[in-house]
Amino acid sequence: MSGQSMSVGPGRTGALLLVAPALLMIGFLFVYPFGYSVVSAFTDNGEGSWHIANFTKAIEFYSKDILFTIVIVSLSTAIIGILAVAIAGYLTLGENPTAVAILKWLYRWPLFIPFIVSAQLMRTFLAKNGMMNNILTSSGIIEPLAAQSYLDWRGIVITFVWKQTPFVALLVAGAMASIDRTTIDAGRIFGASRLRILIELVVPQIATTLMVGLILSYVVMLSVLSVPLMINAQSPTMLTVDMAWRINSYGDYGVANALGIMSYLFTGVVAWFYLRQSLKDKGA
Amino acid sequence: MVGVGIEIEKLCVGYDKTRVLHDIDLEINSSEFVALLGSSGCGKTTLLKSLSGFIKPMSGEIRVNGSNVAQLPPDQRNMAMVFQSYALWPHMTVRQNIGYGLKLRGMAKEQINRKVDELLVLLGLADFGDRKVPNLSGGQRQRVALGRALAVDSPILLLDEPLSNLDARIRLSMRHEIRSLQQRMGLTAVHVTHDREEAMVMADRIVILNGGHIAQVGTPLEVYEQPKSNFVATFMGAENEISLTVERANGTLSIAEQEAVKAASLSVSNEIGDGGVNWQATTAGSALGRFRSSAAHLRADETVPEGHLALAGRVTQLSYPGGVFRYEIESAGQLYMIDDPCRYAVGDVVTICVPAGGLHLYSEAA
Repeated sequence: MSGQSMSVGPGRTGALLLVAPALLMIGFLFVYPFGYSVVSAFTDNGEGSWHIANFTKAIEFYSKDILFTIVIVSLSTAIIGILAVAIAGYLTLGENPTAVAILKWLYRWPLFIPFIVSAQLMRTFLAKNGMMNNILTSSGIIEPLAAQSYLDWRGIVITFVWKQTPFVALLVAGAMASIDRTTIDAGRIFGASRLRILIELVVPQIATTLMVGLILSYVVMLSVLSVPLMINAQSPTMLTVDMAWRINSYGDYGVANALGIMSYLFTGVVAWFYLRQSLKDKGA
Repeated sequence: MVGVGIEIEKLCVGYDKTRVLHDIDLEINSSEFVALLGSSGCGKTTLLKSLSGFIKPMSGEIRVNGSNVAQLPPDQRNMAMVFQSYALWPHMTVRQNIGYGLKLRGMAKEQINRKVDELLVLLGLADFGDRKVPNLSGGQRQRVALGRALAVDSPILLLDEPLSNLDARIRLSMRHEIRSLQQRMGLTAVHVTHDREEAMVMADRIVILNGGHIAQVGTPLEVYEQPKSNFVATFMGAENEISLTVERANGTLSIAEQEAVKAASLSVSNEIGDGGVNWQATTAGSALGRFRSSAAHLRADETVPEGHLALAGRVTQLSYPGGVFRYEIESAGQLYMIDDPCRYAVGDVVTICVPAGGLHLYSEAA
C-alpha cells in the first residue's frame, strides 16, 4: 500500500494532464456559456444590478407558451413511454416469430432521421391535403370535407412520438432482453396473461431503464426548435421558438436566457425525480 | 390438493430440426415423486419443459387426469414449478412473490394473506415476509420459490434442479424438506436433477435418460442394484470395467480364467438382494463386467472368499476421502478404483475381491 501511495503524486499530475483538454472544453463550451446565460438572465446582458425583470417579462409574454411546452412535452413523453413498452413488450413476449422479426426491422427507422427531416415529413403527411387525409378520403374512411390539418399541437406531439419512441423502445427492449427469462416463464405457469406479465412482472424490472429513456427524450424534446417551428406556425408555441424569436428579432438575450433557465428547471425537476428514485433503489 | 396422474405417450420433442426426445413413454402415478436423472444434454429439462408447456412437442401425448394437455399453453395446465434460478420477481417482497399466483386466481386479499402467512410459517420464513428478494440468501430464496409453487394448490409440482445453486449443507436439508412437504400434501412431483444421490433420496421412482431415450425406470433400489444397461450401471456409479469370458448354466455363472483373473463360479440374481450377479447380457461368451469401488474390497493374500470374482493387482495410488481409503489398483494393464478400510501402501500386491452381488454383466456392445 505504501508503494502505491508513493506513486500517487506523479500519477495524479499525469491523470490531470490527461483529462485537462476535456475539462477545458467543458469549461469553455458549457460551463462558461451556461454561467454567462444565468448571469445574463438576472442582469442586463451581464451588466448592471441583479433583478428578475427578464423573468417577469418572460412570464408576462410567454406564460401560455410555457404551459403549452410543458403539456406537449409531458404528453409526448407519456405516449412515448406507452408505445415503447408496447413495442419492446411485443419483441420480448411476442409468440409470432414473423411479426416479431418485422417489428424489430421496422421500429428503429425513425432513429436515423433528423428532427428537421421528421418535421418536413410530417408536414407533408399531416397537412389538410397531406398524405394521411388523402389515404383516409380515398379509402372512404372520412369525407373530403371532413379532412382537417393536424399541423398544430397534435402535429408536434405526433412528430415527437414518431421520432423518439424508437430510441426509448431500443433501450427498453435491450433491458427486457437481459432480464432473467425464467421470471417471465414463472408468470406464465402461474397463470398470468401476457399483458399482466408485461405490466406487473417485466416493466417493474426495467423501470430504471425506461425512466432514463423517457428523461433523455423529455430533455431532447424540450430543446428541439425545428419541429414546433415547422409544424405549428401559430400561437401558442414552444419555448425554443420564443427564445429564437427574442434573439433573432430583438437581440434580447436577457429574456431568451430567462426562458432557457426555465427549460433547465423543467429538466431539473425530472432529473431530481430520477436521482431520488435511483438512490432509493440503491438503498433498497 | 391431491396429486393427479400423468401419462406420457410416444412423446417426440425437438428444437427446429434437431430431435431431443424420442418416443418417450412414461406413466407417473398420482402423488408419486419421480426424478428425471441424466447427464447434461440427455433431454431431462426438455421433458420437464414439455410437461410444463414451455415447449410444444412435435408429436405424442401428455395426459393429465386423462385429458391431453400437450398443446396447451403453460397457464392452462394447472401445474406449479420451482425453477433452477428460482425465477423470483426481484421487485416484489417475499409475501408478494408467494401470493402472486393466488392474486391471479382472483382470491380475496384476506384469504391471500392467510394462506401466505401459513406458508411463511411452514417454510420458516415468518420473519422475512416483507423483505425484497435480493436481500435473501440462496436457501431463503429457494424456500420462497417453493412457497410460491405450493401456494397455488396445483396437483402437480415440477422441480427444475431447484437445489443445484445451494451449498452442500443446505441442499441436504432441503431434499428432506421438499420430500416431506410433497408427501404431506400428496402432490405429484416431477424433479429434474443430475445429482444421483439427490434422486435416490427424494424420489419414489427414477427415470434415467440418455440421448433423448429412457434408459431405465425403476425405484432407487432397482436402478442401483439392477441397472439394465451398461450406461445406467456407469451412471449409477459402477465405473470399474472388466471384459470377461462367461458361461451360464442352471443359474450359475462360470467365469473363465484370464490374465490376472481367477476362474470363478458365481450365482445369478433372481431378485434384488439375493447376492447374485446382475446378469443383463443377452448371450454367454464375451461380457462386460461393471462394479462399484464400494462394492469390492482388497485382500493382501491370494485367498478368495467363495462367490467372489478375484483380480490380482498392485496399488498405484491412494487417497482418503473419509471413512475408507480409496485405492487405484493396476491389474493386467487396467486401472480400478477400490474403497477399503484397511491401509495398504503404494506398490503393495493385492487381490481385488468383487462379491457376486456387486457385479453387473452386460453384452460387450451394450
